[in-house]
Amino acid sequence: MAKKIYTDTELQELRTGGIIKQKQKDYFILRTRIPGGYLKADILKKYSVIAKKYGRDYIHVSTRQGIEIPWIHINNIPKLLKDLKKSGVLRGACGPRSRNLIACPGSSVCRFGFVDTEQLAQKLDRVAFGKDVPKKFKVAISGCLNSCAKAQENDLGFLAQGEPEVDLGKCIGCTLCAKVCEKVCGRGKREPAIVMDKDKRPVYRKENCFFEGDCIRVCPVNAWKLKKTGFAVYVGGKVGRFPKFGIKIADFVDEKQIPKIIKNTIRCYNRIAEIGERFGEALERQDLETIKKEIL
Amino acid sequence: MNEIRIDQHLDLKGVPCPLNFVKTKLTLEGMAAGSILEVLLDDGEPIANVTASVKEEGHQILKVEQIKNYWRLVVKKV
Repeated sequence: MAKKIYTDTELQELRTGGIIKQKQKDYFILRTRIPGGYLKADILKKYSVIAKKYGRDYIHVSTRQGIEIPWIHINNIPKLLKDLKKSGVLRGACGPRSRNLIACPGSSVCRFGFVDTEQLAQKLDRVAFGKDVPKKFKVAISGCLNSCAKAQENDLGFLAQGEPEVDLGKCIGCTLCAKVCEKVCGRGKREPAIVMDKDKRPVYRKENCFFEGDCIRVCPVNAWKLKKTGFAVYVGGKVGRFPKFGIKIADFVDEKQIPKIIKNTIRCYNRIAEIGERFGEALERQDLETIKKEIL
Repeated sequence: MNEIRIDQHLDLKGVPCPLNFVKTKLTLEGMAAGSILEVLLDDGEPIANVTASVKEEGHQILKVEQIKNYWRLVVKKV
C-alpha cells in the first residue's frame, strides 16, 4: 500500500489546481486549461512528454477545450507539478470555481466570425478563470450566431453580432441578400429583415435582423457592409442533469465591457446563489431587471 | 450596354454544393486574368454559396440574375 503523502486538506487544495481523483485508488487526473482552445504547437509537445512520463501515454480532450491527463500516481504529483511550472501547460480547475473559458475559431480563420476570439480569450482568462463560486461557472464566446462555442449553454455566454448596412449606389438588384435573409429569418420564425421593393432595391428592417451577416457574405458587389459589431449576452445557461438555456439580457454590448460583465456576473452569482447551486438555478428566484442592472 | 463578352461558359445546373464551387474554382484557375466566366447555377444554396465563395476568392462578380428556376453568375477573373 502506498504511504499516505497528502492529508485530506492537501488533497482538497490540489483539487483547486485541477488534480482530480480517479476511481482507481491512488490515481489522479491532471486537468489543464486552454483558454479559448488556442494552443501553441510547442506546448502541445509538452503535453505529450507529460503524458508519457507521468500518465499512460494518452490524453483525454475534455468538452471544455481542455486536455486531461489520467493515470497520474499520487507519489508522482509533487514532481509533476514542478515539471508543469516550467512547461507552459496551464492548470485547470475543478470544484467550486470558474472554469476554462471556451471560444470558437473566430474571425481570424472563420468566414462567419465577427470577432477575433483568440486575443479575446487570452485577455479574458485572467478575469474569468479560477474564481471561487458556489458551484461552478463557465464562460463561452462565440464569434457569430452559429454559436459553435454554445454561448447559451454556459453560465455566461457572449455571442458576437454584426449589424449590416446597405449602399444602394453599389446594389445591382440581384436579390440574393433578400433570399438568404428570408431563409435565416424563416428558420428563426421571423419575417425577413431584408425585402426587395418594386424596383428590386433591398429594404432593411433592423427589428427582424438576426445579425448573422449572411447578406454581407452573399452580396456579389459588397453593397452590404458591416456597420457595427457587438455581443449578445446570455446568462444562466447550463447542461448537466437539468439543462437550462441561457437568457439573453443584452444586444450589441461593446467588447471593452466584457471583462467588467464577467466580474459583475461572478460577484452576482456569489451574492444570490446557495452553496452547490448554479447561477441559472439561483436566477429563478430573482427579478431579471435588477440582475441586468447589476451585471451590465 | 448589358452585353458582356463571355470567354467561358459553365452549366452547373443539377450540380450540388460544394462540387459546383470546386468546378467553378478550377475553371477560373485555368483562365487568364481579366477573362469572363459565365456559370449557370441552381436556385437556393448553390447560387448563394457559389457567389459568396467566388467573392471570397477575390474575383469580381459582374452579374447575378435569375432565369426561370436557375441563376446566371458572371465572373471576371482577377
